Order: sequence, then C-alpha cells, then structure tokens
Amino acid sequence: MNLVVNGDAESGSGGTADPVATVRGWKVAQGAPALIAYSLGGGYPTASDPGPARRGSRFFAGGNSPRTALVQDIDLPRSGPTGRRAVDAGKVRYTLAGWLGGYAGQEDGARLSVEFRDAKGTPVALSVLGPVSAADRQGRTGLLERTAEAAVPPTARSARVLLVFTRSGGGTSNDGYADALSLTLEPTGGRR
Amino acid sequence: MTVNRRDLLKSAAAAGALSLAWPLAPGLTPAQAREAAENLGAEYDRAPFTLGVASGDPQPHSVVLWTRLAPEPLAAEQRLPEVVEVEWVVAKDARLRRVVARGKAPASATLGHSVHVPVSGLAPGRHYWYAFKALGKTSRVGRTKTAPRGRVSKVTFAAANCQAFHDGYYAAHRGIAREDVDFVVHLGDYIYEHGQVGGVPEKHVRDHDGPEILTLADYRKRHALYKGDKSLREAHAAHPWFLTWDDHEVVNDYSGTGGGAPFMRRRAAAYQAWFEHMPHRDSFGGSALPDPEIHRVRRWGDLLELAVLDLRSYRSAQNLPDGTILGAEQKAWLKKTVDRAPDAWHVWANSIMLSQLRGRPGGSYMFTDQWDGFLAERKEVLGHVHKSGLEDLVVITGDWHSAFVDDVRTDFDEPESPLVGTEFTAHSVTSGAYSAEWNAANGPLMGKANPHLKYFEGNRYGYDVYEVTPERFSAHMRVIGDRRDPRSPVSTLTTFHVDRGKAGSYEDEDTKNSPAQYRRDAA
Repeated sequence: MNLVVNGDAESGSGGTADPVATVRGWKVAQGAPALIAYSLGGGYPTASDPGPARRGSRFFAGGNSPRTALVQDIDLPRSGPTGRRAVDAGKVRYTLAGWLGGYAGQEDGARLSVEFRDAKGTPVALSVLGPVSAADRQGRTGLLERTAEAAVPPTARSARVLLVFTRSGGGTSNDGYADALSLTLEPTGGRR
Repeated sequence: MTVNRRDLLKSAAAAGALSLAWPLAPGLTPAQAREAAENLGAEYDRAPFTLGVASGDPQPHSVVLWTRLAPEPLAAEQRLPEVVEVEWVVAKDARLRRVVARGKAPASATLGHSVHVPVSGLAPGRHYWYAFKALGKTSRVGRTKTAPRGRVSKVTFAAANCQAFHDGYYAAHRGIAREDVDFVVHLGDYIYEHGQVGGVPEKHVRDHDGPEILTLADYRKRHALYKGDKSLREAHAAHPWFLTWDDHEVVNDYSGTGGGAPFMRRRAAAYQAWFEHMPHRDSFGGSALPDPEIHRVRRWGDLLELAVLDLRSYRSAQNLPDGTILGAEQKAWLKKTVDRAPDAWHVWANSIMLSQLRGRPGGSYMFTDQWDGFLAERKEVLGHVHKSGLEDLVVITGDWHSAFVDDVRTDFDEPESPLVGTEFTAHSVTSGAYSAEWNAANGPLMGKANPHLKYFEGNRYGYDVYEVTPERFSAHMRVIGDRRDPRSPVSTLTTFHVDRGKAGSYEDEDTKNSPAQYRRDAA
C-alpha cells in the first residue's frame, strides 16, 4: 500500500501551470507548486513524453518559486505485518519511488526524500532520490523513475516525505517535475 | 613522533614511493589506504568506533550524543549489517559507574551507520560522561556538559574554524581538548572539498585522499579522513559542540539556492554526510534531511544567548540589490530573536565576516562572498539591532584564516554611525593564510581603509577562547607555534575585552605589544 497521500497529483485544485496554495495530503512548506495536466501542452510533459506508464492526468511542478517544498508526515502502522513489533524486530523494508524530471536542457529539478524518525523525532534512516539532471534525461523533457529501498530501522515510528523543486538560473517557471510518488512497506522474514 | 613522521614522509618521497603511500593513492583498497594513512601519522580509534565520539547542542536537560560505525573509515561502503544496534550510556563519572541514562539506537547504512541520540532528563550545568557499545566493542569515553539555568557567573567557550587537512596537524584542537571550556563552537570549513594538493612534505604535511569530492560516498570518506587526526576526535570527546558551516563543506563560494540539478544533488550529498559526522540535533521544524536546519538560539543561563547562523543554505547569489545571505525566513527569525532578546551577552556564531572589508583606501570590497556581498541585508539587520536597543552583541566569525577585531557599525561607510557590537574573527586551525609579506604590507592598508577595523594578525594559527562574566567579555587569541607539529604548544597571543553595557572593544594592557600587522591604537 502506498503510504503517500496524493503522490500522483491527481487530487485537489490545479490542472494548469498556475501555482496552487494548497495540495491535498501535503503541507506546502515553501513556495507554491503547480499541479499540471499532461494535456496542457506548451512544452510541459505530455502523455507521450518519458514518464510513468500509468500517469493519470496530472503531475507536480515547481510553480513560479525558485524553491518549492512539499512535506508529508506519515505515521507508520501501529500493528500488522509492517507494524511496530515487526519494525522493532527488523522485519520491515521500505521502498521509496518516484518519477522525477525537468524541461529539455534546463537543470531545474525535483528531489524526493524520506526521513524515518523515532518517537522523539530523531532521524534513523534516510533515502534521497534525484534530482535528475538534463544529462540523465538526455536533454529531453520528461520524467525518469528513481527508487531506493532499505530496512526500516527498529524504533522508527514516522516518516517525513520531502518533495523539493528547484529552479536554476533565471526565468520564472520552476520546471522541476514529479509524479507517481510512493512509499511502501514490506514485511520480510528477518534482517538482511 | 613528529620527526619520525617527517622522516618517513621524506624517505618515502626520496624513494619515489610517496604517491603509493600518501597521498592515498587510487587503487589502494580501503584497508591499504588506512594502513598507509596510519603509517604516516593518521590514527583512528579502535573499530568500529574509528571516528570517535562527540556531543552537541547542549541544553539544560539535554545533549545530543554522536558516533558513527566505520570499521574501515576510508571505505565507501562499510562491511556491516544494514542496521546495527548501538547501545549508549550516560553517567555522572568517567568510569561510567553512576549511570543516569542508557538506551539503544539503530545505526542504519542509509545514514552511514551514524547515530544521533538526544539524551534528555539530565541536570543543568553539569558534566556527564558517555560511551557507546556495538558489535561487542566499546567506544572511548566522551565527556559533555549541559547548559546551566538561572544565574550564571561565568561561561568559557572556544571557537574553531577552517581546518584544511593538508595544511597542518590539528594542534589547535589538541589545545581545545585541554581547555577548561563549557562548549566549543565550530564556525565552518570543517572539511575541504577539493582534490589533492601535492607538495608533501615540503609544503604540506599530508594530503586529501583523492580528487574533488562529488558524491555521498566521496563526502563520507573525506569526513572520515579529517577525523583521522586524533586531536580533532579528542576535542569532540572533551566538550559539547555547537556547529555551523561555511562553503567548503560543499564547494567553494557556493550559494545554497539557484543551482542546477547536478549541484543540488551534490549539495544534498554533502549535507547528508555533514549530518552523519556531526553531533547535530536537527531542529525537527518544517524541514528534514537532507536539508538539516542549523540556525538556532541557545541560552547559557542568564549570562549568554547564542544565535547560531546558517549563512549558506538559504543565500542568494552575491552582489544583487535584493540579495540575501540569511534567506527570508532566517532573517525574520534573527530579527525576532533580537526583539525578544533577554538582558544577556548576545553572541552570533557567524561563519563568514560581517564587517565591511576594503583592501585599500578607496578600493573595492575584498570578498563579496562575505556579508560585503549582501549590503542591503546587512544594513537592515544591523539597523534592526540598533532600533531594537540590543546591547552587548559579540559576533564570532571564521573563514578568513586570520584574526581581525572590528567595531560593528550600522553603516560601515559612516564612521560616526551607531556602534552596535564587536566582531572577533578567529585564526584558522590550519588553513593557509596570506604570506607574512602580504600581511605586513596589507595590514596597515586595510586598517586605513576600514575605520572600524581595530586589529589584524595573519601570521599565526589557532583558535579563540571567550571568557564571559556579567561584567566583561574577553576574547583570548590562542595560537600554536607550528602547524607542522601535531603537539605544538599553545600560547595566548593577545586578549581583547568588551565591557558590559558599553559597545566597543579594547586590548588588554599586558598583551597590546604582541606581534600584529595592524593595530588601530598604535596607528
């Protein structure tokens, strides 16, 4: 199960390149993102550009701010096969995944990270994806898949997902793009 | 020991073997690289706690403990289980018998097998000792101290900055470890990102482990290399530290914003590695790793309020009319901190020079990477200090590899503008300064060009110790004799005082004839 709420940018207002003040499931920590329709055109990623196979109708973009940051705090399950007992026994792994991209040869970018925290809020694990560079995209507008997986350390109780879009150089539009963001937990037989 | 090491370096150089031994030649396995490093003077603690222990961000009831498991400190990946359980213990005595807290923390490969333990429930204003245990081994014992509460009659602390590994041994940290201080502030340039410099042993005592660092693995190795100087580990183990950073923790003169994707990826790697190697308590505010939040305000009883500034993460490019060195949020926070300031000494831990610095009369600013590249914001912040009526402001600064004492004025181009504080820029731990000839020629020129500049000394290396009482703030400039000697003795070059309630500094009568390349009172 994907623990990230609205990781596909499909919910809430948006649809154009105009920044929105709120995004369902996310706290807008800095700047203002845009939730752009793949059908918008105008140089933005389209349904035929590199991106998730099942991409829905919209993706996240950085809006018009030099740095736009979205935060989502996730409480880990209390019980069940990926609950606290399993986490503390070292029997849960996580996978962070997302499609991250940008525009043509520009170096605007999107970065997705997850920080697992213990009950006091101390970081106990971290995975960082992206940003992908223009070279990674071979100079083409689009999004590339990035994933990381690791053990959920014992004592982890929450996860903070941070999505940051950065604009490089001049211009107005922050053309870091992101879509299909997910954080999943998986029970394992034991420590690796 | 020094002689042996130098002899070893010289003989290795003579034999043409230096490139195989040190610099740590590419192609060596991590174990071979470590052995080569150790043969030539680096020393690590016993595995897996090779990088030592540390504590930081002391508060009245809490302090953060740090260690990192790195059996092979110069390996990109540690041969360890993905998650290792680390036990920690805090006691009232050095033998760890009177235990007051203990627990376990997971060391994850995703964070370089580092642990950061915020220990709470401690008593204010007292020493504690601590250690870690993992994989059947026990770390060295570290000592820390909590901040006091209420009325405090004295606080003593040290400030260190700029410790280029190749430029010398950390005799300054050896000195800090032996100082009777309550805490240490590191003002940045803890590591340097560039590649090997060569010239060992004629010009440099040692070298970096490889080319310019770019990836998380690179930055981890570089931090581990720097911690191979035992004096640095000793200083960490002796006192709690407050930390900020300057540019070289990432790359020379960078601005934290506005870079393209390859730079932002590099910055994230550098920030993560910094966190993994420092006793840093993340603020748990609006952000998260890999963007640690460094700026914070801490109090040492009723005597001192310390504001730690981050002058890198949020800055814009230099020399813009609307440029920022603090970023909008941190600036608002700093101004609010000024507004709410208690009646106490106010110290800003400021990585890079606040005061204006022209190279010669009528000349341009020497470096606009410092606050001179952010004129409007400096004026706004210092104007706010003046308007708010804040008194007893002392700014402690690094970066310059030389010592300066400046009057802080609201408008540095107007010598009669309000005097709102004093800035002490400390000598570097090792990072190379200008030549003695340059200093001799330019000290007087800088003095003439900057009416607020009171003192300049650039021929020495060391650190500052600040001794603070309700009546007086004294800055003791500690200097070492020779960067090439890891055990070089420490002496006090001179002392400047600031009296409470009276802006401006003055030099101690007993040391005002000490060597310097500029001294306003003597000019």
